[in-house]
Amino acid sequence: MRTSVIGIGLVALTVGVAAQAAGQGLTFDARRIGMGGLSLGRSASLVRYNPAYHAVPEAVDRRGRPRVTIPIPLGIIQFLHDHPHLSTDPAFHPDSAGFNPILAVNTVLNLPIYLEVKKAPTPTNDVVFGIGIDSLRVNLGAAAELVPEDQFGFGGSSRLLNPGIGIKGVRVSVLGWLHYDLGIELNDKVLAFLRDSVDALPRTGYGVFENGIAEGGFAPTVSYAGRVAGDSSTGLYLGGALHYYLGVAYLRSSISAGFRTGASIFTGPNPVTPLDSGLTSYSKPGNALGHGVGGDVGVAWISGPIELGVGVNDIGATLTWSDTRQDSVFYRDSSFSKPFKNHVSTTTKLPVSYVANVTYTVGKTTLGADVLNTGRGSTVHVGGEQLLGLIAVRGGVARDQRKRIEFGFGGGVRLGPLGLDVGFWTHTNSLSNERGVTMATSFSIY
Amino acid sequence: MRAKWLPVVCLAAFVVGCGKGEAIFNVNVYSFLPASTDTVPYYIPSNTPRADTGSVPQQINLPGVGSSVVDSIQIFGTLDLYNQSGTGMLGLQLFMASDSLGTYNASNAVLTVQQKTVSGSPPVPVTDTVQGQLLSNANPLFTQKQVWVRVAAEGSNASLTTAVTGYMVLRTLRLSVFINDKFF
Repeated sequence: MRTSVIGIGLVALTVGVAAQAAGQGLTFDARRIGMGGLSLGRSASLVRYNPAYHAVPEAVDRRGRPRVTIPIPLGIIQFLHDHPHLSTDPAFHPDSAGFNPILAVNTVLNLPIYLEVKKAPTPTNDVVFGIGIDSLRVNLGAAAELVPEDQFGFGGSSRLLNPGIGIKGVRVSVLGWLHYDLGIELNDKVLAFLRDSVDALPRTGYGVFENGIAEGGFAPTVSYAGRVAGDSSTGLYLGGALHYYLGVAYLRSSISAGFRTGASIFTGPNPVTPLDSGLTSYSKPGNALGHGVGGDVGVAWISGPIELGVGVNDIGATLTWSDTRQDSVFYRDSSFSKPFKNHVSTTTKLPVSYVANVTYTVGKTTLGADVLNTGRGSTVHVGGEQLLGLIAVRGGVARDQRKRIEFGFGGGVRLGPLGLDVGFWTHTNSLSNERGVTMATSFSIY
Repeated sequence: MRAKWLPVVCLAAFVVGCGKGEAIFNVNVYSFLPASTDTVPYYIPSNTPRADTGSVPQQINLPGVGSSVVDSIQIFGTLDLYNQSGTGMLGLQLFMASDSLGTYNASNAVLTVQQKTVSGSPPVPVTDTVQGQLLSNANPLFTQKQVWVRVAAEGSNASLTTAVTGYMVLRTLRLSVFINDKFF
C-alpha cells in the first residue's frame, strides 16, 4: 500500500525528470557542452550511430579538435565539500529523520560531476491539503505543473564491447548489446487529484500504468565501412553492419498499480483497497537464447568545409524468445505472482535509432547541427565555435526529448598542445520548471 | 488502514509539491467527531467563579510530519449554547496533549474563547464563534502521529441560588495547520 501510493508521487517525479536527463544526455566534454551538446566528427554519438564514420580518417574530421579530453569534475569537489560525511549524511538515508528525498533525487538527476553555478529553484508555493472525514483534496499550486500529463519514461539501446578483427574495411566482431525502456502513465483520476486539485472520490481507482522492458545479449556482426568515392579531403563514405542478435535474457512487464477508495474516503472498515495486476514475461540467462537479425546503415560525405552524415541502427531487429515464462502478478493482502504460461514463444523489438548531422567549417569558424533519436523522441543540437587566436568562443542550443529548449555557451584557451575549456549549459532535469546552469571544465590534448 | 491512508497520500502529494513553501493542512475536525461528542453538557453550581465541564478526550490521528516545524495553527468554528437555567458566563476552552490525561491539565489549554452571557432558557440558542490562533504549546503536538483533544465549556456563576445548566453544541470546527518544509 505504502509503496504503491508513494510510488505515484515519487516515481512520477523521479522517472519523469529522469527522462529529461536522459534526453539531454550525459556529456563530459566542456567543448561540447559549450556548443549546446553538439556532436562533431568522430566524437560522441556519430561513431556510435553512423557506421560510415568508422571509415572517416581522424585526421580528416578532427579539424582542430583535441585528441583527448579530460573532464575536471569540480562538481564532485563541491559535492564532497557540502556533504563531507556522505556515508552517514542523514539527508541521503531514508531511515533518518533528516532524509531529504528532494536532494537525493536532484543529486541523481544532476550527477555532481560539473559545478552547479545556478541551481534550479524548487517550487516555493504553499501546498494545501483539505482533509475531512469524507473528503481529501490537495492543491499543489504551481508545483502541480511538475506532474506529467502524458506518458513519461526513459529508454534506449546501448552497445557495450565490440571486439573483432578487420581487413580492408570489412570487420567481423561480436557486439554486446543492451536495450531498456520504461514508460509510466498516471491514470486520469490521479492526474485530476494531483494536477487539477479535484477531490478524492469514493469508489474510485487511483493508479499508474507501467510498461517496461530490459533485454541484453550479444550479436555476431559482419560490417563494412569504407570510402566509396573521392579522396581523403573530399569523399563519400558508406558503412553497414549485419547483426545476428542472440538474446541472453529479457524481462518485460505491463502492470497497473494503485488503489481503490471505499464507499467513504476515511471511514468504513476498508477505506482503500490496493489494486495491482499485470503480466510479466521473462527469459532468464540459461534459457534458450533469443534470436533475431537486424542491421545498421550509414553514409558520411565530406567535401571541403562541409560534412554530412546519416546513420540508422537496429533496422528490423526483432528477437524471438522460444522459452519464455509468463507470470501474472496481483495484490491480495500482499503481492503475489502466479505462473501463467511457460515455455512459450514471445518476441521483442529493438528500437530503431538514427542520427543525422551536418558540419560546416570555414577558416576558424565551425557550425554544426545534429538530430539523434534513440527510440524515445528526438534530440536536436545546433551550435558553433569561433577561434580567436588562442581563444575559442562557443555557443549552441538544444532541444531535448521532451521538447524543452536548452542553451550552451562557453570558451577555451589553447596553449600549444594543451587546452583548457569551460562550458555552461542550462538544464531542466531538476525538480523544477526553471532552468539551472552547470559549468563544465575540461583539459584537452591536441 | 485509515491511519496509513491519510499520511501516505499526504506524503505522496507533499513530495510532488516539494519546495520551500509551507504545507497547510485544513482539517475539518468536526467531521471526525462522533455524533455524540459534539455536545458538551455543562453544570455550574451557584456562586462558582470558575468551572470546567467538558467532553471526554478524543484522539485524532495525524499524518506525522517528522522533523518538520509547525509554524502556527489557526482555528475556526461555531457553536450554539443551549442554556436551560440560571445566568452566567460561558465559553469554549480547548485542551490538547500527547495523552488523554494531559488534556485535564490546565496548562494544556491551547485556546480559550471569550465568554458569553447566558441566561434563562431562551427559545433560540446563543451562537458563538471560535476563531483565533492556538497557543504555541500546541504546535509540537501536530508533528506527532496523534494528538488528544478535549473540548470544555468553561464558565462562571455569580448567582447565590441558581445553578447554570445547559449544553454546548459544536456546529463547525476547522483547524489550519501551517507546517514548514522539513517534512522528512
